[in-house]
Order: sequence, then structure tokens, then C-alpha cells
Amino acid sequence: MRNPRPALDAKDRALLWSRLRVPVRTFLALLALLAVNVGLGATRPFEQVWLVELAVVAAMAAIIVLVSMEVRHERPLVRLFAGLGFFWVAILFGMTLTDYLAR
Amino acid sequence: MSADPAAAGPVGMTRAEHFATIGQQRHAATLGMWAWLLTELLLFAGLFLTALILRLLHPEAVQAAAGHLKFWIGAANTVVLLCSSLTMSAAIELSRLGWQRMMVGCLVATASLGALFLVLKGYEYYADYEEHMMPFLARRPYALAEQPATRLFVNLYYVATALHAVHLLTGIAILVGLTWKASRPGFLQRHQNWIEVYGLYWHFIDLIWIIAFPVLYVVNR
Repeated sequence: MRNPRPALDAKDRALLWSRLRVPVRTFLALLALLAVNVGLGATRPFEQVWLVELAVVAAMAAIIVLVSMEVRHERPLVRLFAGLGFFWVAILFGMTLTDYLAR
Repeated sequence: MSADPAAAGPVGMTRAEHFATIGQQRHAATLGMWAWLLTELLLFAGLFLTALILRLLHPEAVQAAAGHLKFWIGAANTVVLLCSSLTMSAAIELSRLGWQRMMVGCLVATASLGALFLVLKGYEYYADYEEHMMPFLARRPYALAEQPATRLFVNLYYVATALHAVHLLTGIAILVGLTWKASRPGFLQRHQNWIEVYGLYWHFIDLIWIIAFPVLYVVNR
């Protein structure tokens, strides 16, 4: 197996950090958002807290799709596919809840 | 398969003859994976929507059932999957650099974290069994038998989490095979994009759990 050298020198370490900076920051952001949700779930500070929890989940999902799955750097057709998938989910939820919430 | 000038460097891919260029092949692979992931997204979305409807129809029963879920194990498992997404992202970046040994190490770490998730999930199921929280077992008393509507939520919990676990188990199996192939000499010269395409699947498994944890464990507490 190929590696640059048995031990990384300063140049390699700088290159490695430049490549891993985004994944590490993404990980820390997701961890912080998870901590918010776990804290809210454990303490239940107010009645409508589920709205905040679902907003935090939406933010986490957006970070994973756009950054971790690199949709923001993809070609327009892939971006369209990814967007359409969540659009179908929105239709599924919207039309079903229109029924249940209007009963 | 045919040779391609783009595969001459330390990192690249071999062009299949039905593609005109490497770029076209790479784009088709990514698009194909996304098309499949969207069908999976709609599958899980149906389950999450069902959980939401159950909450609207039977709020007390769902809260009673959700109170028996192992909130802290679910939270710990979310951290485990977030760590696995980090190691997967690192493997992708290392594959782009052509640093094969470190990339293989990250792939092994990813598979190990996936296995740790399944171990914790298995323990959670065992604790549920001990608490008589498996209403589908006909010969075993059910702890919330006086609230029949709780069965709906508890059964949905098992269907959703077991389906996710099957996806994760499949993902680990594929990852073990991919890691073995990725450790062979010349892998990154011929198939670097396999790592990127597989990474989409792993991140998607992570995404599904990140949605499942609050929908099942958190908002119903």
C-alpha cells in the first residue's frame, strides 16, 4: 500500500489538515446540534419544544446532504435529483398531514 | 474496460468502454447512487410519517411507549454514527490524495464504528426484551398491554430501527469487501471513485438515523 512517507512531515501534515478541515468542522457542527437536541429532549423546557427539535434535525440533515455528501459541489443534474427527492418527501408529508390535521 | 490516460497518475479510474470520458463515468456513478438513495429516502419517509400520524392520533399512548425507549443509548449511537461519517469523509479525502494506507485505516475505523452501533442497538433490543416491551412476541406478556394503541408505536419503532440496522449491516459487509479491495496495490489508480460513491451510501445511513433518533426517541418524550 502506498503512503507518502513512513511518518508525515510538516508539509504533509499541512496538506492533510487542509483536506480534513471541512469534515472535522462538519463533525463538530453536527455534534453541537445533536447536543442541543439531546439537551432539549432530556429537560423538556417548554411545551412546544418539538418544533425546535425538528428544526435542529432539519439543519443537521441539510449539513449532511450539502457538505458531507458534497451536493453543493455536484453538477446541476445531481443537485436537481437530490432536491427532487426531498421535494417528493415534502409532498408526501404535506398531502397526508392536510388530511389528518383537517379532520 | 479500457485503459485511459486519466488513470496513469497515483489516483484515477479505469474507463468502461460504454462511457465516452472519465468525467461522464464518474457523473453517471454519482447520479445512479443518488437515484437509488432517493428511493430509500421515500421508504424511510413513509415510516417517519407514520410515526407522526400515530403521535397525532394517539398522543398519550405514543408518549407512554416512547418513555420506555433507551434515550441515552440512542443518543450515544448517534454520536457513534457521526464519528463514522467523519472517518468516511476522511477516507474519501485520503483517497483523493492517493494515501492508500491511511485511507484503508479510515475505512476499517468506519466499519468498526458501524459494528459498535449494531452492538449498542442489540443491547437496546435485549433491554427492551427484559422490560417486556416486545408486543409482537405472542407468548411473552407486554408491559403496556392495558394501552393497546402503544403496540402501534412500539411495532413501528422495531420496523424502522430494524430496517435501518439491516441497511447498516449491509453497508458494513460491503465496506469490508471494499476495504479488502482498496488495500490491493493500484486500487486508487483504477477505482478511486468507488470510495466516493460508497461514501454517499454511508452518509445516507447516518442521515436516516439522525432523523430517526429525534422522530422516535426525542419528540415523543
